Amino acid sequence: MSKDQRPPRIGAELAKIEAEPLLPIEKKLLAWSLIAGVVLLGLLVWSGNSALTFGH
Amino acid sequence: MAQQTALQGDLALSPQARPLTEDWLAVALGAAIFLLALSLLAGVDLLGWATAPRTWVEVGKSVRQASPLYASYGTPTLLIATYLFVLALTSIGAFLLGSNIAKFVMGFSVVYWLSYLAWLLGNYAYVAVTTPAEMQRLAIGWSLRLTGESGYLIALLLGLAIANFAPSLARWLDEAARPELYIKTAIVILGGFLAVKAAEQLSLASTVMVRGLAAIIEAYLIYWAVVYFIARKWFGFSREWAAPLASGISICGVSAAIATAGAIRARPLVPIMVSSLVVVFAMVELLILPFLARAFLADQPLVAAAWMGLAVKTDGAAVASGAVTEALLLGDAAARGVNWSPGWVLGTTTTIKVFIDIFIGFWSFLLAYIWTRHIEPRRAGDELSSREIWQRFPKFVLGFLATFLLVLGIGLAASPATLKTIDSAMAEANIFRQLFFLFTFFSIGLLSDVRQLWQEGIGKLAAVYVVSLFGFVIWVGLLISWLFFYGIMPPLAR
Repeated sequence: MSKDQRPPRIGAELAKIEAEPLLPIEKKLLAWSLIAGVVLLGLLVWSGNSALTFGH
Repeated sequence: MAQQTALQGDLALSPQARPLTEDWLAVALGAAIFLLALSLLAGVDLLGWATAPRTWVEVGKSVRQASPLYASYGTPTLLIATYLFVLALTSIGAFLLGSNIAKFVMGFSVVYWLSYLAWLLGNYAYVAVTTPAEMQRLAIGWSLRLTGESGYLIALLLGLAIANFAPSLARWLDEAARPELYIKTAIVILGGFLAVKAAEQLSLASTVMVRGLAAIIEAYLIYWAVVYFIARKWFGFSREWAAPLASGISICGVSAAIATAGAIRARPLVPIMVSSLVVVFAMVELLILPFLARAFLADQPLVAAAWMGLAVKTDGAAVASGAVTEALLLGDAAARGVNWSPGWVLGTTTTIKVFIDIFIGFWSFLLAYIWTRHIEPRRAGDELSSREIWQRFPKFVLGFLATFLLVLGIGLAASPATLKTIDSAMAEANIFRQLFFLFTFFSIGLLSDVRQLWQEGIGKLAAVYVVSLFGFVIWVGLLISWLFFYGIMPPLAR
């Protein structure tokens, strides 16, 4: 691999990152994802996992 | 640099531009071996010559062919035949992928024989034997009780040693260091092997699959959001870095990082660096988590299996961890006089990993939708299409499903005698599955050049990985595995 084809050093790339505040849509994605995950988990545990068991 | 070169190879050509993708190649290689093995159903034994190590004390008796039909050819001839067969298959694949064939053949030959050597060493009686009865049979007084699967770890350590102490040799081998191709091929073959187990215990297999599905939905919803938040809020990463990083750490390593980067149109550098990190940390997890499972989950083998699937990233390392965990837990159980049927721990880990892979396409599509609608709207003519789900779909999963469903269908309709024949056929195919596992372990080690990554200045990315993986992902994975798999036991061996 010649010198000019070499990928940029990652440290330099990371240093270039500028601050990007969380957008409302990102917050919405995170919130919905976590709420859905926790509620679903609660429902499955509450049901005692019986809906997920076959032939026992 | 071998690590980056291999990953750049994955990204260099779009799926449409390649003559054949690695996924479809894995399907073809796995299907070829699977179909040759199934010939046993027609009364023809086309793979009985394949050789594999058995537990040994004298090296002269360390290797045996799959079927006694081929014993007259002698072990050295059959060893060479097995090598030439695998070399031919993989070389055709390398040619179709557009690799440098001469370099591949030389590199693969080294990968093959070092992997085989590791397999042989792992089956040395003083390393592998787990039960007092077997110790007595082989007349040995002690054993490390690591089982024959310790060959996988020896292969990993060999690859790791070459990557970090002989980097020029690692570069020379990089054309043949293809862990994702090897593990995907192995998973396609594994489908048939697991289906035999499922046909024998259908209700348990159904329970494992449905609970696996529930577990990975949980993992997707919780993991990704938390890791993305940590990367963005605590470490100040931009969206371009945080999304592939979250997918790489929380979902499925290399393929998820690449798919997510494609979905949000990140620069190629981003998934390359994230993937490099994923490979190194997956190797660390592979060396630690199975032994933690052995220490703390010895009586809950399927919790341990699901944990490997949810916590260890990359297909190769996750399924490999399942294999090591199965070997350790079943070996310890055998020493206690409990003989669980083999295949269930590995099968559970693989099922979870395959389900995770299936959802990558949908998750990438969701992210692409959010990015194109709300964050970086695309130009006219470049709108999001549902075809992108298919483009991101891991095609080797189709191979796994095909071999699984075909054998399951035959197995459920078969007489006990036919089921026994299918069992024998899949046992022959399983020799090649184990070989491809070994190549995977060796390649993962070979691509884990820790020093080079450190020199690249990857410390901040690694910090997110350490915080997310060891502070959150592993333990939430354990909790979810415990909730869904506690109390479910593999059947006892017949």
